[in-house]
Amino acid sequence: MLKPILLVEDNPKDLELTLLALARSNLANEVVVVRDGVEAIDYLFCQGEFTDRPRGNPAVVLLDLKLPKIDGLEVLEKIKAEHDLQSVPVVILTSSREEKDLLRGYSLGVNAYVVKPVDFLEFMQAIQELGVFWAVLNEPPPGSARLSKHGR
Amino acid sequence: MSDPRGSKGSASCDTDPIHTPGSIQPHGVLFVVDEPDFRIRQASANAAEIWNRSIESILDRRLDELTGAGSVESLKKYAAKVSIERNPTLVGTIALDSIAEPARFAVVAHRIDGCLIVELEFAPNRIDASETETNRHIQEFLFSLGEVADARELARRAAADVRRITGYDRVLVYRFDSDWNGTVIAEDRDPGMPSYLDLRFPASDVPAPARELYAKNRIRLVVDVESEQIPIVPSLHPRRGEPVDQSYCILRSVSPIHIEYLKNMNTAASMSISILREGELWGLLACHHRTPRKPSFAVRSACDFIGGLLSMRIASSERTAYLSEKIRLKSIHEKLLAATASADDFRDALVDHSRLLFEYISAEGAAIVQNREVRLIGRTPPEHEVARLGEWILEHGSSEVFHTESSHQLLPDWDRFHDRACGVLAISISKLYPHYLIWFRPEAIRSVTWAGEPLDPDRLDGGLHPRASFEAWKEIVRGGSNPWSRNEIEAAIELRNSIVGIVLKKAEELARLSSELEHSNKELEAFSYSVSHDLRAPFRHILGYAQLLRELEGGSLGDEGRRFLDNVIDSAVQAGLLVDSLISLSKTGQTALNPVEVDMNALVHEIRRELERDLRGRNVRWIVGDLPPSVCDLTMIRSVVYNYISNALKFSRGRDPAVIEIGGRVDGAETIYHVRDNGVGFDMKYVEKLFGVFQRLHRVDEFEGTGIGLANARRIVARHGGRTWAEGAIGRGAVFHLSLPRREYGG
Repeated sequence: MLKPILLVEDNPKDLELTLLALARSNLANEVVVVRDGVEAIDYLFCQGEFTDRPRGNPAVVLLDLKLPKIDGLEVLEKIKAEHDLQSVPVVILTSSREEKDLLRGYSLGVNAYVVKPVDFLEFMQAIQELGVFWAVLNEPPPGSARLSKHGR
Repeated sequence: MSDPRGSKGSASCDTDPIHTPGSIQPHGVLFVVDEPDFRIRQASANAAEIWNRSIESILDRRLDELTGAGSVESLKKYAAKVSIERNPTLVGTIALDSIAEPARFAVVAHRIDGCLIVELEFAPNRIDASETETNRHIQEFLFSLGEVADARELARRAAADVRRITGYDRVLVYRFDSDWNGTVIAEDRDPGMPSYLDLRFPASDVPAPARELYAKNRIRLVVDVESEQIPIVPSLHPRRGEPVDQSYCILRSVSPIHIEYLKNMNTAASMSISILREGELWGLLACHHRTPRKPSFAVRSACDFIGGLLSMRIASSERTAYLSEKIRLKSIHEKLLAATASADDFRDALVDHSRLLFEYISAEGAAIVQNREVRLIGRTPPEHEVARLGEWILEHGSSEVFHTESSHQLLPDWDRFHDRACGVLAISISKLYPHYLIWFRPEAIRSVTWAGEPLDPDRLDGGLHPRASFEAWKEIVRGGSNPWSRNEIEAAIELRNSIVGIVLKKAEELARLSSELEHSNKELEAFSYSVSHDLRAPFRHILGYAQLLRELEGGSLGDEGRRFLDNVIDSAVQAGLLVDSLISLSKTGQTALNPVEVDMNALVHEIRRELERDLRGRNVRWIVGDLPPSVCDLTMIRSVVYNYISNALKFSRGRDPAVIEIGGRVDGAETIYHVRDNGVGFDMKYVEKLFGVFQRLHRVDEFEGTGIGLANARRIVARHGGRTWAEGAIGRGAVFHLSLPRREYGG
């Protein structure tokens, strides 16, 4: 079974547009949606309401930066600090190219940093390319999936 | 001003124990007695002669056995009423008939070191007729004090009255300067006596111990320089083992040096009355006589009284002059302050108001030194020398004010500016740096008339031989300016405090402004962050949904509906671009420049290739010259050049061919580049609007654009220290220039 894509997005319109873009890219991966930083952590660490979810890491995390409760950069930091999650690709999707966010993102080990284009057609194209690259082509380093299969 | 003759000659004299000579002058008898039994412990040797018995038989007797019970009783009574501690007091007069030669004595007593000193001074046999005269003279003098304000005239009258009362041949009023040189400011004399008026006496004439005694005991009498000195026996007090401290004695004998001094002055008798001000010796009333002379105790007291009145009166008139000068200075100070406070830089204000500066403190030149930056006013040494002086004062001067009248006390080679800056008065504006306001005075060549030619200091080594001649001797004094008065120095300090206050206040204001600026910069940053995220998102949503709508339902809309939808999409795209440009504009001010050497030819080539992709078959003729390189921030300058070239292409859209000419040249300290087109041009009337934010000279449907590009270009170039400008004419194309300062890589 394909690993799901984790989409972390609080804005409903952005969410809808991103989901539409993902749908049009003909990816077979399931898209799991969480709406803030805390939910994202809970999902990734199988805790809170996600305690009983099927084990396994997502194929890619699409992460908005401005999130309620815990912001995107903090979520990124937690992912990259956790051994079992380190190899999960994280793509930051953000409204604006803010120099200091970008630098912080890269210093925390983000895999890609995408500024959402204003034009929806361009946005769609960007999402499709991302999806194909990270969810399909980019095979995570061996070990991470296996490890998670055996559980902790 | 220091005494140019030095004061070496007084050195040995300074240490002579002149308050314990162990002898008295012969015009009286001295007893040192114990209390309360009045037993005599020491006596002057002449007591033996007067009472016609051996000195041994006098010692250990009670005083009343010699002077009668009545005298001791009245002494006791007196001592109970008046403090005689270090205060010689006339107790009364006694007439003794039982002694060898019957005589009247004035009895003067005082106490010192626990001993009672009783001095009997020979008095005239009858009441001195002149004593009533004396009172009249004092009264007259007292009245005249109110009429005269001039210190010299007051002194002259005092001298005249003292001479009338005492009958001395010559009476001088002698005033000390700050270095204890004395000048005769008034004189009254017998025509046969040489005049000493205006002569100056060196400090060594009245050495420190003598001055100390003058301050303690205001009246000093030398009855006859030829008389022999009478020893006190025994020389040491039997109980205390020390010689009698005669500081307050009226009969104290005279030191041989002083005797010689008086003889050299052809004086047989003298009397000095100290004039004190606030406990300090201010001057002397000096009386000289060619033959021995002894004014009575009462007359001497009257002279003391006149001296006191004189000093009080002079003090008050000087005080008045001082205060009125202070008021004048205060009003100038206020004007200076007002000018300084309203100026951005206090230095400008002082330069602009140099007239006030010189009215405030009389000088011919002034300078304001701030580190090595020097402003000069009037006659001064050159700038770099004044700067050097500033550093010297910082090292050697005190923290508030520094002043000197003689340039030789300054830098070693400063003497060469004696004609401009012999006297220096500097106030310090900063404690840490050489920041000074300095006034300069030229050398004032003065002549001083000394009483007698100064001796070669080497010959004074013994210190025992005062000069023999008091003939006026003129000395030309150089190397000194007019002195800075106490008033001027105080005024300078006040001005300093005001300026320091103003400078501090300005510094505080600046600090406050810069902290406000920092605060508003932070707010602006937060604002632009918020704009970039929150404003951009809705435009993205509008565009996204509109594009989806067109895609899904476009077919079912009418022509007008589709046009409306297209307009929504266009506007949203436009709005999104606008937000992006605004953000980049605000970032231009924030990001640090990263200057590198930029090959402008390569840069233009690369931009051309990018822009040519959108030319879609337009006929464009490029004329690109050889462009000199520049040191600048590549990313920022690229956006400027990109803006210039894309504008040129945009506004020449209708031309066939469009001619775009790009050139550059080095011009002095700048490198200037330009981009010329043969497009629609603009009216020069609006040239300054071109570079403003959101300023457009064309309708949006004519030429697309956000109206930010040129504003951003100008900001970027300005941050590099360069300039942007343009020329054009409607229908005849435009040329845009930019200049960048030439500098070495990393410079």
